[in-house]
Amino acid sequence: MTMRFVDEYRQPGGIARLSAEIARVANGRRVKLMEVCGGHTHAIYKHGLQDLLPENVELVHGPGCPVCVIPMGRIDDAIAMARTPGVIFATYGDMMRVPSSTGSLIDAKADGADVRFIYSPLDALTLARKNPDREVVFFAVGFETTAPSTAATLLRARADGLKNFSVFCNHVTIIPAIKAILDSPGMTLDGFIGPGHVSTIIGLEPFEFIPRDYGLPIVVTGFEPSDILQSVVMILRQLVSGTARVENQYARVVRDTGNRRAMEMLAETMMLRPFFEWRGLGFISQSALALRPEFAEFDAEVRFTVPNVRVTDPKACQCGEVLKGAIKPWQCKVFGTACTPETPIGSCMVSPEGACAAYYNYGRYSLMRQGSASETPLVTA
Amino acid sequence: MSDDRDFTRALYPFLYAPADNAVAPLAALLDTVRSSTLAKCAEVVALRSELVSEYEAPLERAAEAMAERFANGGKLLAFGNGGSATDADDAAIDCMSPPRTEWRSVAALSLSADSATVTALANDVGLDSVFARQLGAVGERGDIALGISTSGNSGNVVAAFTEAKRRGMLTIALTGYDGGAVARTGAVDFCFVARREFVPRIQEGHATLWHTLLELVQDALARRAEVVA
Repeated sequence: MTMRFVDEYRQPGGIARLSAEIARVANGRRVKLMEVCGGHTHAIYKHGLQDLLPENVELVHGPGCPVCVIPMGRIDDAIAMARTPGVIFATYGDMMRVPSSTGSLIDAKADGADVRFIYSPLDALTLARKNPDREVVFFAVGFETTAPSTAATLLRARADGLKNFSVFCNHVTIIPAIKAILDSPGMTLDGFIGPGHVSTIIGLEPFEFIPRDYGLPIVVTGFEPSDILQSVVMILRQLVSGTARVENQYARVVRDTGNRRAMEMLAETMMLRPFFEWRGLGFISQSALALRPEFAEFDAEVRFTVPNVRVTDPKACQCGEVLKGAIKPWQCKVFGTACTPETPIGSCMVSPEGACAAYYNYGRYSLMRQGSASETPLVTA
Repeated sequence: MSDDRDFTRALYPFLYAPADNAVAPLAALLDTVRSSTLAKCAEVVALRSELVSEYEAPLERAAEAMAERFANGGKLLAFGNGGSATDADDAAIDCMSPPRTEWRSVAALSLSADSATVTALANDVGLDSVFARQLGAVGERGDIALGISTSGNSGNVVAAFTEAKRRGMLTIALTGYDGGAVARTGAVDFCFVARREFVPRIQEGHATLWHTLLELVQDALARRAEVVA
């Protein structure tokens, strides 16, 4: 059985031609490209695309996994809300196993907290309607891609006059994180594989600062194997010709102007936080969203008292370095031993979009063999 | 109705007017850092009170035992990895060059401090031997072994305690979490555990434990000097 919009992007002949074209255009030039989006990281390792690139073309993984970048202190806050008597805490499944400084949401559930995993924020609204005597809190996590669905849910909650529903808003925006990486000392990237899903909402304009201010190409990219390989070809062609601009490889989905209705809903319900802490990247100004004061009645941070303390990652965990592209997941001391998808220490091992989970699930043994022992960092104390 | 560019500007204002946005976020950021710092201070104070309360008697006993060895010409041999290595350095310096003029200088050596020896042993023999081998070379029956490991599971610290015990030395451990393998070796005379799972807190607990121990040792040495005089 064939599947439209999938099979045509996985044709072996086309993939082989793109792979050969990458080697031809790169022509031995050393190139380091960052795929910003965790969906790309997952696709690259699921389909073995790294093996189709010449040795001189390296892909490093960016901070585009929303589960991975939420700092431990915010998970502590979520657990505090979940443990509040009378609360039903609704969350996406990924967040259930992300460790905090005091366990995870699944641990809290095992202790008796009413934590439920849902597939859509609208499921949380349904919970609120069915449980009028309980407080339902939705753990909102994600980039510009998923923030509009939270916005739509808030508008629906207000229209329905719900009084027992609130949102713990942890939506972050990817553009400030890309800028933070570009501004970080020792940045050695040559270009970006741009986030396809985020771009369906925000369009292409927000990426224009990358070629303008940093002289680097970015190509907004889809998630199928041929999408990613074609994007690498497009970036390489820019590099070879000495140009830098924003290109749209994912034109079948992404419009240059994005999704105007989604942006309107965002603007109506949310506003920028002055700053937000990102795991591995620290505080980044204007990089996250909070509910507007007009929606304070739905704001869990207004309705609940939480610890609100910054918590450093466990010392053995090197998610921060992985998220910055400074090390590969297998170079982390605990990768595949103490930290596995079943018993994660760091968030990058939890979500399928996390670089560590992608490495672990797809070819960790061959990837680990590529590294010499001397490259493996040691963390001691 | 606003155009698309207005939404983009609202979401990413720093791309358009970075200078206008610098001041307000800084004030709010400082507020958060201030409250987080105060919360951490409260945690540290609680931990320190807890440790002194739990270990009051063992600290006094350990200090007496250490003072006895120092009085008889023994020396302190301190060791640990990473941040615990610098804590071992600090312990040795506190003994050799005491922070108070009235305190007596006593012999001490940090086995983590000599980079040539440590790297030679690590390279030629193995990481687990870097402290045990040094103890074998310089450790004597009347000496004191002070090992520091936040996890309590550092293999070279465990091996060093085993060697120190075999040589009849007084053995004192500073650890974290539940004490780890160090606490279970049976080779440690006094094991002080900062029961936390967060390394910075554990190290702050270790600093308190060590400095309390040092003060008690100096008091005991002073009492001994008075008796002799």
